[in-house]
Amino acid sequence: MALRLVTRNLRNRISPKLCSASLLHSHATSFGFKEVREEEKSQMVGKVFSNVASNYDLMNDFMSAGLHRLWKDRLVSKLSPFPGMKHLDVAGGTGDVAFRILESINSIRRRALQDPINDDLQEETRIYVCDINQNMLNVGKNRALERGLGEVKSLVWVQGDAEALSFEDNSMDGYTIAFGIRNVTHIEKVLTEAYRVLKRGGRFLCLELSHVEIPVFKELYDLYSFSVIPRLGEVVAGDRESYQYLVESIRRFPPQEKFASMIADAGFQMVEYENLVGGVVAIHSGLKI
Amino acid sequence: MYRTAANRLLHHASLIKNSSGSHLLRLPILRTVIASSRFSTTADLQTFPNQTFNPSDSSTSSSSSSTAGDDSRHGRKNPRAEYEEEQARVLQASLRHVIKFGWSEEAMIAGAKESGVSPSIVGSFPRKEAALVEFFMDDCLQRLIDRIDSGEELRQLIPSQRISKLVRIRLEMQAPYISKWPQALSIQAHPMNVPTSFKQRAMLVDEIWHAAGDEASDIDWYVKRTFLGGIYSTTEIFMLTDRSPEFRDTWLFLDDRVKDAFDLKKTIQEATYLAEAVGAGMGSSLQGFVGKVFQR
Repeated sequence: MALRLVTRNLRNRISPKLCSASLLHSHATSFGFKEVREEEKSQMVGKVFSNVASNYDLMNDFMSAGLHRLWKDRLVSKLSPFPGMKHLDVAGGTGDVAFRILESINSIRRRALQDPINDDLQEETRIYVCDINQNMLNVGKNRALERGLGEVKSLVWVQGDAEALSFEDNSMDGYTIAFGIRNVTHIEKVLTEAYRVLKRGGRFLCLELSHVEIPVFKELYDLYSFSVIPRLGEVVAGDRESYQYLVESIRRFPPQEKFASMIADAGFQMVEYENLVGGVVAIHSGLKI
Repeated sequence: MYRTAANRLLHHASLIKNSSGSHLLRLPILRTVIASSRFSTTADLQTFPNQTFNPSDSSTSSSSSSTAGDDSRHGRKNPRAEYEEEQARVLQASLRHVIKFGWSEEAMIAGAKESGVSPSIVGSFPRKEAALVEFFMDDCLQRLIDRIDSGEELRQLIPSQRISKLVRIRLEMQAPYISKWPQALSIQAHPMNVPTSFKQRAMLVDEIWHAAGDEASDIDWYVKRTFLGGIYSTTEIFMLTDRSPEFRDTWLFLDDRVKDAFDLKKTIQEATYLAEAVGAGMGSSLQGFVGKVFQR
């Protein structure tokens, strides 16, 4: 047993030097399939998202055939929000996840309307939407206005870096990051920050495009992402490069098991993941105790 | 608890054996054992009597770093137990809110707040409400076992009385939650939860038969358990609509059912004897007939 652990450990120690995932730790990092310097990645990612912000939701619907809505629903149902919750949604500029959480909390409140304590709690609910990109946040704020949520106190829009959050330690009940962690420069830093801001019993949930391992489906998926998506981006959003980056960055992201072990290394417990659509996306979850 | 702690110690001990040759290795391991086990520190030191720590030993820097990694892996195992404790604490606290909120997420959220962890933890419980009901079932079983182990009162009773007494003790534990118990039953009957709830009921029935002094392992075993399961469940249902003071009607009903069952057992036994007798009679006359036939 112990021997096996030691060898596994050694392998873990050696393999980063061999495999390309190590680039996440070294001074060079990946931007899609290109290798770029660390400082450049965040700028380049920033540029991509500034470019796509206006068409972001339209393109999401096109690329996933509307499935991304179901994935986000699933994420929120796994979170099981409650009135009075302090939640942080990172990289959620367009507010997709935040609106769903708010909706879910409101429906819980309706269920227990006769209870006056819950009303007070509802006032305390805070959902912080944090995104590094102001353009994306603006899209989200506009959508909130359209939905009549512009004046809702529960929604707080914050511009900030997932690697250096401006929130206090042990201040959040929940942390979600949907389709965001792939784009950061240091995944470990993001995870450490998530662990830091969460309270005891708080949960970390990450929805991310991941790796398909089912034989035939994998080929089809590759074909779709490398031939269809960039062209779709060109036609619909008039921006091929950004969507080329998108599909490449998915392939660069660590596979489910590896990412789960990274979450565990950050200190989370009960680390689990669930594959949706055969691994096209995966929901990882962890608990801070 | 002692068993898990002992396992943990054994585990660490084997780790030391495997990685012998370096003294440096032992210190971090020793520290985790002390930090993680609930044994007293003296017990830990007894486990490693010949420890010598040599800080000047510098030849093992690489391997010691790998053990540090191992430690974190082991460290993760203990939190698993920690998580279960935390979960049990939250669920225990939630039980106090069941009467108000039912067997629901709200009750568990209230319970989590009470025990000082973020209510988000509820989202990590498998099958949500079922977790609460199942916890209650396990808790009741444990209390029943404790009662059996400590109770002198039971030993003076005859088996049929002993069984109805035990079923009564168990059902009385549900009495405070009776207004919400139909909900619990419906949660248990959900297809996702049936395997666990069935197992829990089987364990309960088994425990009651054990306490009643039944050591049979023949086909009777199944019959007995099926009977008792039936009695337990029907009484449980009867109790739901019983408005008599302190469920008096329920206990009368229970006594009658247990008596019926024992009577039936007697009847079945008599029927078997009769059948055997008839069989024997037939056999001898058949023998006689065959004998006559072959004599010719």
